[in-house]
Formats: sequence, C-alpha cells, structure tokens
Amino acid sequence: MEDIIHLKDVSMTYGRNGTRATALRGLSFDIRGGEYVVITGESGAGKSTLLTILGGLQVPTEGTVRINGVELAGLPADGMADFRRETIGFVFQAYNLLPYLTARENVMVPMSPERVSPREKAERADALLAAVGLSGKEDRLPSQLSGGECQRVAIARSLVHDPPVLLADEPTGNLDSATGEQILDLFSSLHGRGKTVLMVTHNRANLSRATRSIRLRDGEVEEDREFRSSRAESAAV
Amino acid sequence: MNIRKLAWKNLLRRKSRAVFTGLGIFLGIATFVAISSITSQMEGAVQDQLDRFGANIVVTPRTEQLSLGFGDIALGGTEVAHSRLTMSDKERIMSIRHRDRIRSIVPYLLTATDASGKNLVWMGLPGADMATARPWWKINGSPVRKRGEVVLGAEAAAALDKGPGGTVSAGSRQFRVAGVLAPTGEKEDGMIIAEIADVQSLSKRAGGVTYFEVAALCKDCPVEDIVAQIGQALPGARVSAIRQVVESRKAAVDQLRRLGFGVSAIVLLIGGLLVLVTVMGGVQERTGEIGVLRAVGFRRRAIFSLLFWETGWVSLHASFLGAATGIAVAFLASPSFGIGNPGIAVSPALLGVAAGLTLGLLGAVPPARRAAALSPTEAIRSL
Ligand SMILES: Nc1ncnc2c1ncn2[C@@H]1O[C@H](COP(=O)(O)OP(=O)(O)O)[C@@H](O)[C@H]1O
Ligand SMILES: [Mg+2]
Repeated sequence: MEDIIHLKDVSMTYGRNGTRATALRGLSFDIRGGEYVVITGESGAGKSTLLTILGGLQVPTEGTVRINGVELAGLPADGMADFRRETIGFVFQAYNLLPYLTARENVMVPMSPERVSPREKAERADALLAAVGLSGKEDRLPSQLSGGECQRVAIARSLVHDPPVLLADEPTGNLDSATGEQILDLFSSLHGRGKTVLMVTHNRANLSRATRSIRLRDGEVEEDREFRSSRAESAAV
Repeated sequence: MNIRKLAWKNLLRRKSRAVFTGLGIFLGIATFVAISSITSQMEGAVQDQLDRFGANIVVTPRTEQLSLGFGDIALGGTEVAHSRLTMSDKERIMSIRHRDRIRSIVPYLLTATDASGKNLVWMGLPGADMATARPWWKINGSPVRKRGEVVLGAEAAAALDKGPGGTVSAGSRQFRVAGVLAPTGEKEDGMIIAEIADVQSLSKRAGGVTYFEVAALCKDCPVEDIVAQIGQALPGARVSAIRQVVESRKAAVDQLRRLGFGVSAIVLLIGGLLVLVTVMGGVQERTGEIGVLRAVGFRRRAIFSLLFWETGWVSLHASFLGAATGIAVAFLASPSFGIGNPGIAVSPALLGVAAGLTLGLLGAVPPARRAAALSPTEAIRSL
C-alpha cells in the first residue's frame, strides 16, 4: 500500500522564548494506508500534539507533513479546513458533542455548511448512527446517553465525510473496560473496512488489535514496532 | 441541520444570554423609535400651535413712510392707488403663485373715535375670523357674531364701566357688548373690537383696511418667497415677515430633533456595545465548541456566519420588539407631549429595525473574527 501519512523531521515547540516547551523533536515516520497504529507514551510525551498536527489542527514549527498526497505546510486556512473535512475523522477522549443537540443533530453538524436538503442530511446521519449501533436513539440528547453511546455518536460524526484516516485521542479513556472494548471493536471493524486508524492510548490491551505500535518519549520515537498480524501479543510493550 | 438552525439551537440553549444580548438593541430601538416618533409628531404639533398662533406676515400701506421721506411726487400712479389698503386687496394677495400656502388673510381696520363719550381705538375685523386670528383671546361672554356687536378690551371695559349685555354708543349708533376680553397685556386691552364693516362705516372709510395679517402654512415654508410675491401683487404695500416667529419656530423644532437624535444615538451605541460584549463573552465561553466545529471541517466563513446568524436572530427579534414598544410608548406618552391625535410613525419604526439589525451585526464582527481566528487546538484543549 501507498504511504498515506508521511512525516519528516517534524518538531513542535510551544510558546515564546521565555516559556518554550518542545513537544516533538524531529519525528520521522511513514504510515501506509490501512494500518492500525497505536501510539503510546507517558503523559506529556507529545502524543496529542502529534495527533493535532496529523489532523491539520496545527502546523509544526519545523518539518514536512504529507497526508493523502496533501502537503499541509502550504495550505491556506480554508484549505486546511477542507483537508480536515475530507481526509480526517477526529474522535476525542471527551466525545466533544454539542450538549444541546440530539444524537442525530450532532452527527449532522459537519454537514451543516453544506447545501444538501435537511432530509438527506438526516438520512445520512441515521444511517451512520445505525452503523455504530445506535438505531432508535437518534433523538436523544448526549445527557440521555451513556458514555459509550456518546463516543459512538462521536465516531458516527467523524465518519460523515467518509475520511480515509481516523485519529482518536484516548477514545476509551473515559469509559469502563467493557464499554471501552466495544468502542475498540468498532474501530477494528472500521479498520477492517479500510480506514487507516491512529489511536493514542494508555491501555496496553489496545495493542492486541493494532498492526503497529509507536511509542513516544519526550517528543521522540522510542520504539516503532510492526506486528505480523493484528493479533499481536499484548506483551509487546 | 444547517448553520442557521445551529445558530437558532444555540440561542435557545442560552436563552438568558440571548435576552441580555438583545436587551441593549431592544432598549436602543425602543428609545429611538419612541423619541423620534414623538419628536416628529411634536414637530407637527408645534407647527400646528405656531401656525395657530397667528399670522406670520403683515401687510401695511407704504404711504406714511414714503410720504414722509419723499413726498407724493415720487410715487407712481399704481403705488398711489395702493397707498391705502382696501378689502379688495385680499383677492390680490390670494392671487400669488404660492396661494396654496396661505391659510388665512385677515383684514384689520383701526380707527380712533368716540365710544360712549370716550375717545377709544376701535379695531375692526371679520367677526368670523376672530377665533382663528386670535385663538388665545379669552372672552367672557361671546365673540362678535354679527354687526352691531362689540367685544371690549379689559381696560376699555373698565374705562367704560361696561360688561356683557351692556351697550356702547358711537355717534348715533348703539352697539351691544357681547363679551369682554381677559387682559392680554397687548394694545387690544384698551380697544373696542367690532365687525370690520361697522368700523368702516364709523370711520367713513367704506372697504378701508389698515393692515392685513397673512398666515402661511409653514412646514418648510418659503416665507421669503411668499413675502416677495405679495409685494409684487401689492406694489404700494409694505410686506414684512414676522421673522422672529418664523425663526424661533425653526429653532424650537430643530432643537427637539437634535435632542431626539442625540439621545437615540447614545442609547443605540450602548446597545451595540452590549452586543459586542455579550457576544464576545459567548465566544470565550464556547471556545471548545468552536474548536470542535473547526475540527470537523468548518471553514472560517462558516464560523463567522454561525455567529452572525445568532446575533442576526437576536437583533431582528429585539429590533422588532423594540420598534413595537417604541410605537406603543410614543402612543401612550403623546398626550403629555401635547400631541392631540397620535399616529404611528412608520418610518422611524422601519429605520429603527434596520438600525438595530445593522448595529447588532456590527457588534458581532469583532467576536466573530475572534472566533474564526481561534486556534482549534487551544479550543479542544480547553474542553
Ligand atoms: N498548547 C500548548 N501550549 C504549551 N505547551 C503545550 C501545549 N500543548 C502541549 N504542550 C506541552 O507539550 C508537551 C506534549 O503535550 P501533549 O502533546 O499534550 O502530550 P500527551 O498527549 O502525550 O500527554 C507537554 O509538555 C505539554 O505541556
Ligand atoms: Mg494527550
């Protein structure tokens, strides 16, 4: 498979001279389409920073990022927004649903700037909610859903534009292990349907589903392992 | 779900903030509409009062001044003919181009003659014109309604020791006292007011007129033009605008209007600032939410329009409510401003709605820019 993500000498430094914090130091790696990469590392290692850079939410202070053939450094603000919409699906630890919208409406949010009939949008949203196992709960508010269900809504929302890459920052961090397992099953099945998945996680159990693991330490790659099968042993860490 | 609906949902969720955002606009527009509709109606009312206050042009013969200065030799034939005014000059005045602006022409004849043994000044005018020409006269009794009746000035009544129902003799004629004027502080206090035809016959000047008072309808009144035209129609007459009346009238109306606009402008400005502050606060509060929208691919323009729709909805509602309230307030308050029959001032209301919307949207510009410029990561971190 082609490299869908290409990272070369990427560094990220936050803040000005006085309060500088270097989150990434010259990261380089490539990810092929269809990989399921788990990113591990201690708190502060730079995992979230890496994900936001891959997702086009911020631009690294140095280095090249090319995703799906698009060189991110050269993109204007609108181009970046279009890139995020078309290429990236984000899933956050805290779900980040809009609390005043129903499940269906939350899934429709990424479509709202589009000139498509409301009915078509609703149908698309319902189909996505059905795909993540939430049929019948379309009209519930986030406050009326469990944590796992909220995360399913967030996953459905990330799939609206059928992006090739899913970026998930500790998607099971707020869930109990059984519910977390179900969410991981969902990611596995999306991976099975061809999505490239990058998931930040603390949980070693999550490794069992991945095809590759990258461990960060102080903004550098400490370890980069590929597993022959996705059923690699969890002892790998 | 589209941007408009998203904006609407967000408003519903933060109702009290929305109400607060709209409050400034609401108060501003209500004040603006109330004040400008009161002032515009007051302009009319003041105008009416001032117009009713009487004449603003006086037509007198030129004779005296000219004969004093140059002697009769200097005067041409026509001018000599007009050196005394007569009743028929009314038609000449009425023939000017701006005749439609003339509300009334009242002839007066003054003559000093005997009244029950005392030498008093008689003022003749058409009895029917008394109420319009001197609306401020308070008459104890009734006005002059027909020939043979007189109204006595307060001092004249005292001098003659007569009251309503009494009689005053002049030569061989008897006049019934119809009423007595309350003191006015003017010269008419010492006069006897009668039907002009009676005074003409007493002074043996059939058709004679001492001066005309001309009242022009004066909304944006071209008084100077009217004066000039009457001057042309009556070459022998001296036509003067009572400048003071005209100018003070203008000044009063202008002052009202300035006051109205000043107050409304200040309140509207405050309303706009309130929008800015509350919407800015809302953006701050919603950084996370805006970050999510950026993360799912909203362009900056979409964020912009989201905030504009929100303020747009609020401003529109607030403006309409404000305009309605302003109209209601103006309507209820108009009696205390001396407006007899209040109407609905449509143009201030429309202007108010437009101004409210504009201000609301203007107030939303800085926060919208700020929201669109928010870094999505910062936003997401803040969640
Ligand atoms: N917006 C920011 N401003 C300043 N420093 C930041 C910012 N985001 C992250 N950092 C710093 O960069 C380092 C990496 O953070 P992060 O990417 O969040 O790590 P992780 O997700 O692995 O815990 C940390 O030292 C963190 O304090
Ligand atoms: Mg993190």
